[in-house]
Parts: sequence; structure tokens; C-alpha cells
Amino acid sequence: MSVVSEPSSAVPQMAAAAAAKRLPLARIGIWAVTLFLCLTPFLLVIAISFGQKIEGASWEWAFSFANYQRVFVGANWPEEFTALYLQKLYYSLYYAVIASVLAVITAFPFTYLMTGLSKRAQSAWLVFILSSLSLSEVFIVMGWDVLLSNRSGLPMVFKATGLTQWLKDVGWFETLRDWGLANPRDVKFKTSVFATVLTMAYLVWPYAVILLYPPLSRLDRSMTEAARTMGAGPWTVMRTVVLPAVRLPLMGSVLLLFVFLLGVYVAVTVFAEPAKQTMAVSVYEAVRGNTLNAPFGSAQAVILLLTAGLFLALGQWLTRRNAS
Amino acid sequence: MNGLQLSGIYKDFGSVRAVENVNLDFAEGELTALLGPSGCGKTTLLRMIAGLEMPSGGSINLGGNNITGLAAHKRRFGMVFQNFALFPHLTVRENVVYSLVISGTSKSDAIATGERLLDLVQLSGYGDRRIGELSGGQRQRVAIARALAQEPEVFLLDEPMSALDAKLREDMQVELRLLQQRLGITTIVVTHDQREAMTMADKIVVMSQGRVEQVGSPQEIYHQPENAFVADFIGKANFFDGVVEGGKIRVGDALLELKTPAGFLGGSPVKIACRPETPYLDTEGVAGSRLKAKVTFVRDVGPVRDIHLETEIGPMVVEYARGETDRSFSIGQDTTVTLPVEGLHVFPRTGQEAA
Repeated sequence: MSVVSEPSSAVPQMAAAAAAKRLPLARIGIWAVTLFLCLTPFLLVIAISFGQKIEGASWEWAFSFANYQRVFVGANWPEEFTALYLQKLYYSLYYAVIASVLAVITAFPFTYLMTGLSKRAQSAWLVFILSSLSLSEVFIVMGWDVLLSNRSGLPMVFKATGLTQWLKDVGWFETLRDWGLANPRDVKFKTSVFATVLTMAYLVWPYAVILLYPPLSRLDRSMTEAARTMGAGPWTVMRTVVLPAVRLPLMGSVLLLFVFLLGVYVAVTVFAEPAKQTMAVSVYEAVRGNTLNAPFGSAQAVILLLTAGLFLALGQWLTRRNAS
Repeated sequence: MNGLQLSGIYKDFGSVRAVENVNLDFAEGELTALLGPSGCGKTTLLRMIAGLEMPSGGSINLGGNNITGLAAHKRRFGMVFQNFALFPHLTVRENVVYSLVISGTSKSDAIATGERLLDLVQLSGYGDRRIGELSGGQRQRVAIARALAQEPEVFLLDEPMSALDAKLREDMQVELRLLQQRLGITTIVVTHDQREAMTMADKIVVMSQGRVEQVGSPQEIYHQPENAFVADFIGKANFFDGVVEGGKIRVGDALLELKTPAGFLGGSPVKIACRPETPYLDTEGVAGSRLKAKVTFVRDVGPVRDIHLETEIGPMVVEYARGETDRSFSIGQDTTVTLPVEGLHVFPRTGQEAA
């Protein structure tokens, strides 16, 4: 009996052993391809960032920190200190922080109210918001460009409706001029920090809603009801129950959108004035634009990447500290 | 406060009426249980009392003041939720003193009150713990202490024991009742567990399909059910369909005697309920209807024995408490069962029941 049964049981065992051998190989293969695809572009950018530009030509491989030095202290340091690229980094952070916070702050009440609607209404809103993600950055910026343009957009609407004159009459026009939102005659939004940040916040607003929707829809509504029965008005409920309960997803959303916004290019080139352009724009100009200095562009890209990493690490640290 | 009154309260959700014309008085210091099956409207009624749902009609009065439209946060009603709804981002003490902190009570007073309440619910020393570190029973105590912190005029509990295991539930029922009696707060408890309601309540409101079926003390509800639903929902009962005949009830060939003649016209279809502990087996000299019976099954469950019978009016269960009789019954044994006149409850049989 055993003589007959042994070969028949050995066949599946051998097949299983062969499959077990193939499985690690397949896994290693998948890991290798994934790592190659993920790391190669980064490694290339890092390697190129140490390269040297050949004047009037392309660039060559090298190991020089000159590009990094140029970003932090300028090309002519120590004779001359230039903070031009640090300023670009500053504006990258400045726009990204304000726009990400603005997007999350405005998306939060909307999403909170949305989760209180019927399931059907929630689904309709989510489909609408998800469909808005199909619009490209170029398309969105084009729309805002028309809307905020000085000759045919909101400034002309302000003028035609008499709002501009009213602002002048009440004295607020001068305040707008101080903020860079008016020229001597009319209200203007282009170019301005306001228009840049507004468009960037608009770009990521659907992402903010989608990031906040799961934690807010999971929020136990009986907690807010319990707070109400204990004498908490709507604002107190929001401040003492809802916001603390979702503070980690809120921080996470701001961080994620911040990192995404560090790389925004079209909105900044259209709406930010030349002196307030970001490092992402500078990277593009170095790599593909007028200067054709791939090593310097790569160095800026690496610094932008490290900045994003630094902020993510900071966020992680804050999250852990809050959790503990 | 001079008690809470509900007058003509009803609630519609779209085309569905969840609560139908409820008129109830809750006396000061009394514990009332709203009892009924799932979906009967008891929680909706409690939420309307708390101000978490607005009634579609009717009024709620507290001490003579109409509070129907008053927002929940202005009512000062403490409420314990089914899942306790504790705030996980706060410690036990911070949960308990939440209402005091948001009302602007000084920190020292809030802490002193918090410690007193934690002591009251036997959680002294747990103040600095996180909610996630507590057991189900401890969480319930925190929820009770938190609801009591604002010295509520009315204390509301929505299925407070449903998240606890059976043993803990029994202990907490007694504990909660003793605490309520000590504090003397008007209390309303929603439950679907009739044993829980019978243990804790001064008064039980039995609800079904949004309506109040009966209001009374636990003993009244059990021994004098006003309709077949109450007789069926509270405790166990044997039911028989019959027809009124000369002040008695005919069920098949048997004519059952009643304590007082049935107040129905002759020929009216009725339903008879008989609690399993009221019939007598193989006993003479009891005023009632004596029927032939055969034992079909005996179930011994410790404190009681259930003897299942096949009688001439249908199957029936008779329950004997341990020690009540030392007679033994075996399957297939012929016997007699006497339905005492005071043990039969007669209700009209309507609609599909009569068909």
C-alpha cells in the first residue's frame, strides 16, 4: 500500500518545493524592478547634482559641492553672498504652507457638513469632487488666469459694478495697494501672492476633502451629542471634541498637501511675480529652460526633496508626540 | 423641578412615524424604564427628551416650563449613551469634569467634584488613566460619573448595559439603581431587556411600533398585562385562541372559566394568555378549568423546571420553581392541568390574528 501511495504523494510535494523556490525568485525580481524604478531617477538626480556645467555646452560627471554652495551662499562666495536661491526656497515653503493650510481649513467644515448628509448626497458630492481631480493643473490655472486677469476678470467686474470706486471712497483701496492687490487705478490680482496662494489652494482642495472624508465619516457622532447634553454649544463641540478627535488626520493632510505643493510649477509661473518665484520654477529653468545647467537644477531638486523629507519627519515627530 | 411631562409627542422620519402620540408623566426622583423591542421608538423618544431630536409635534414640559424647542446644551439633562461616547483624547478625570470645565467652573472646584464623582462610582485613583485603558464596566462608570457632573435635572440612559457581559450587567443594574435612589434624580432608562427594566424601574413604559402599550409598576405590567403584546413581551406566557361563549371562553372542545365574565360580545374572537407559573398539575380543589394533558418534555434548568404538555386546547408549558413540588414528571405521563381563573388574561383578537 505504501509502495503505491508514496510516488503519488511525492509529486505534489516536489511541485510545492519547486513553487517555493520560484516564489522567492519572483519576489526578488519584483522587488528589484520596483526599487530600480523608484530609486533610479532619485539616484541619477543626486549624482548629476555633483556634476559640472561646461560653458556653452552640456555638463560632465564630477564630484563637486559647487552647485550646493551656489544654492546656499551664491556662486561667488566668499567674495559675495547671494541668497537668491534661498529666497526661492523660502517662497516655495511660504506658498506651500499657506496654500495647504488654507485648503485644509476650508475643506474641513465642508467635509464635516458633508458627512452629516444622507449617504446618497455624500456619494454625489464625492463623485463630483473626484471628477474635479481629472482637471489638469494647466487647465485650472488657465481658468483662474482668465478669472483674475486685469483686463477681463474680476478687476473689471469690480470696476463695472462700482465696487472699485466704493473701495476708493471708503479708503480701503489704499490698503489693497499696500498689499499689492491694486495699481493706482484698479484692483489687480495678477501678479500677487494672493492669486498664487489662492490658485494653489484651489488645486489641492479636492485632495483635502478626500483625505479628510474617511476620518470625519468615521467620527463617532454620539461623542458630539454627549458633549451637547453636557452643555457644549456648537463651537465648543467643534473645539473640544471634533478637532481633537481628528487632529492627526488634519496634520497629515496639511503635510501631504504641503509636499505636493512644493512642486507646483504652472500656477507659480503665471501668478507669482518674477522676484517671488519658487525653487520648482528655478529647477525647471536650469534643466530645461534658458540656463541649461542640469547639475545646478539637480542640486536644487535635491534640496527641495530634502526639505520635503525634513517637514515629513517633523510631522511624524509631532504626530508621535501628540499620540503619546 | 416638579417632574417631566410629555404631551402628544410624535416624531416622523419622512413618511414613517417613529413615535406616535406619547403622553407620559415622569415623577420627580422616579426611575422609569422605556421598554420595547428594537425599532419600537424608545430611543427616539429618549433623544427627543434630551433635545437631540426635535419632535414633529407635541410638547415637553419640565417643572411647568415648555422645553420642547430648547437646544440640548441648554437643558442640563445628563445622558449615558449606548456606547458610552467617552472622549478618547481626554483622561478619565477630564472626561468626568468636561461639563464643569466648559461651563467655566474653577479648576480646583472641577477637580474636587471629579474626585467625588469618581469615588461615587468606585473609580478613585483612576483619574489619570486613558479611556482605552479601562474595561467595559469601568467605562460605563465613567460615563455615569460624567453625566452626573453637571447635577442634571433629568438623568437619561440609552441601553446603558448593552455593551456589558451578562454577569457584569446584573451587578451594574443593582448598582445603578442604588446610586439613583441615593441621589434621587429623575431617571429614564431605555432598554429592550425586560429583566433589566423589572430590576431597576419604579415604573415601566412598554412600547411597540412607536406607541405606548402600557404604563405601570413592574408587578402591574407582569401580572396585569393590558394586551397580548405586553403579555408576550414581558416574561413568558402560553397563548390560546378562543371565542367568547356565555361569559366563558371556548377553545376547541374546552370551555375555560374566568374570574370575571369576559367583557366581550358572544362570538368575539379572543386571545388568552396564561403565565407558565400559574397552572397546577394533577391538583384538585383549585378554582379553574381542569384539562387532560400528556407530558411531552421536561426541562430542568436549575432554579426552575419547565414541563411541556400537550393538552386538549393545545401545547402548554408549566413552570415549577425548585422545591415547589417534589413530584417527578416523565415524558409520556398522563396528567391533568388546571388553569386557575385568576391566571387567565383575555385580550381581543384582531386583524390577522383573528383571520
